[in-house]
Amino acid sequence: MQKNDLLEKDRDLFYSIEHTGPAFYWMVGLLMTILAFALFTYIIQIKFGLGITGLAQPISWGFYIVNFVFFIGISHAGTLISAILRLSKAEWRRPITRMAEVITAIVLAIGGLHPIIDQGQPERILHLVTSGRLQSPLLWDVTSITAYFAASTVYLYLPLIPDIAILRDRGTKPRWLYQFLSWGWQGTERQKKILERAINILMVMVIPIAVSVHTVISYIFAMTIQPGWHSTIFGPYFVAGAIFSGIAALLIVMIAFRKVYHLERYLKEIHFKYLSTLLLIMSLIWFYFTFSEYLTTFYGHEPDEMKVFFYKFTGDFSPYFWIMVICNFIIPVGILSNSKTRNITGIFIASVCVLIGMWLERLIIVVPSLANPRLEYPTGIYIPTLTEWALFAGGVAVFILGFLIFAKYFPLISIWEIEEGRETSISEVAHRLSSYLPDDVEQDEIKKILK
Amino acid sequence: MEKKSIFILQIASIVYIWIFVIAVDVWILSLLNVAKKLNDAINASVAIGILAIPLFITIAGILTYVFVGLQKNKV
Repeated sequence: MQKNDLLEKDRDLFYSIEHTGPAFYWMVGLLMTILAFALFTYIIQIKFGLGITGLAQPISWGFYIVNFVFFIGISHAGTLISAILRLSKAEWRRPITRMAEVITAIVLAIGGLHPIIDQGQPERILHLVTSGRLQSPLLWDVTSITAYFAASTVYLYLPLIPDIAILRDRGTKPRWLYQFLSWGWQGTERQKKILERAINILMVMVIPIAVSVHTVISYIFAMTIQPGWHSTIFGPYFVAGAIFSGIAALLIVMIAFRKVYHLERYLKEIHFKYLSTLLLIMSLIWFYFTFSEYLTTFYGHEPDEMKVFFYKFTGDFSPYFWIMVICNFIIPVGILSNSKTRNITGIFIASVCVLIGMWLERLIIVVPSLANPRLEYPTGIYIPTLTEWALFAGGVAVFILGFLIFAKYFPLISIWEIEEGRETSISEVAHRLSSYLPDDVEQDEIKKILK
Repeated sequence: MEKKSIFILQIASIVYIWIFVIAVDVWILSLLNVAKKLNDAINASVAIGILAIPLFITIAGILTYVFVGLQKNKV
């Protein structure tokens, strides 16, 4: 098949780039309004200080740190899942990887800004440069998040180069941007080899970096001796939670853009089925970690720990705790383990519930431990103000806006990977199958069946 | 935009990436120096430095390899 025929076949993938309807501008306008309001509240916060937020001693961390952990957690959707799927040569990954990688780049940028917001005065972040201490888990965080952001941006960009070159050759505007970003890509064999080698190296590098990021974030809490935080399983617990929320975010994005840009030919039911199986498994793993974490605390019955424990189970935070359990475990397991409800609507509901549940999980990790310190303080109260809610809404708006703008300039589904799949997938899968099977089965025979 | 201007922009982006990586590495080295001066958990700082410094250099190296490789191997 000629290259032009293939591109014509994939014209749906260029639609969001070459046609911009009024709905796009309305949506961008709405999101910009939310963002402008968030910026306005932030300026007010800079002027009057953190006193206008709900933060007060002993609760010095609230929404900002909750959102920081939550957004960085979602970032695990992308690069980590994409790298694992690429590494394991999962053929169904092809229409998914790009969206996953975009999620990572956008949410890392949003999440990374939250500690600056939490500082009150933004110039305080410069103290990191001048007086930072590498022994502090906070500095480990800065280092690992910067490394993850750098690696995942490169990991998003490199597989994008052949698609950028396609847009350049189609004469899509702004032409200079595509010429600049395509780096003279012409698809020669040598160029393909260079790109493939670079992607392979990054793919292997990115997995440990991603795991380290959320492990290190958990250390901010676990390295202290605060009740409810000082736990040896916090590292893997945070990583599992991050992958869990990441998959949910990826599913929501896939369902939304499939509907808006009519990508049903590429994002088929099978993709949702496979990813939702992963979501179901992660839900069970999350429950296992949560159960282990609270059972060991309860069994130890250390008085300070029990104060936090009961604050979550039966105290002020119990509604949030039990909603979290319902959203992260009961609803997703109920929906996804039943073949009748495991359709796209069901998966969407389960994914939204998981995102709500995982945000609540971050909330009930951060606040109750600070509200019940070891020292003889009265129990703290935290009620977030409009400033915190506005900045949270601003973060969500930036996420959607980032995605819309990306989709306006770049294909959300990797065109060259789809083409490559059409050209080589069947023979590759046939070759792999014939090497797995115990009996000698001719590759041609498998190819025939696959076709 | 002319081809020459785009080429200059591309070279500038490689330079920018290396400036960023070198700045991060210099920052980590300065923090190591502070830990050494204060004799405060220098081992932990060295461990972080050993991991982080080559990591950033590798990322910049991969990008440079791709950029130079693609430019060189045009037909």
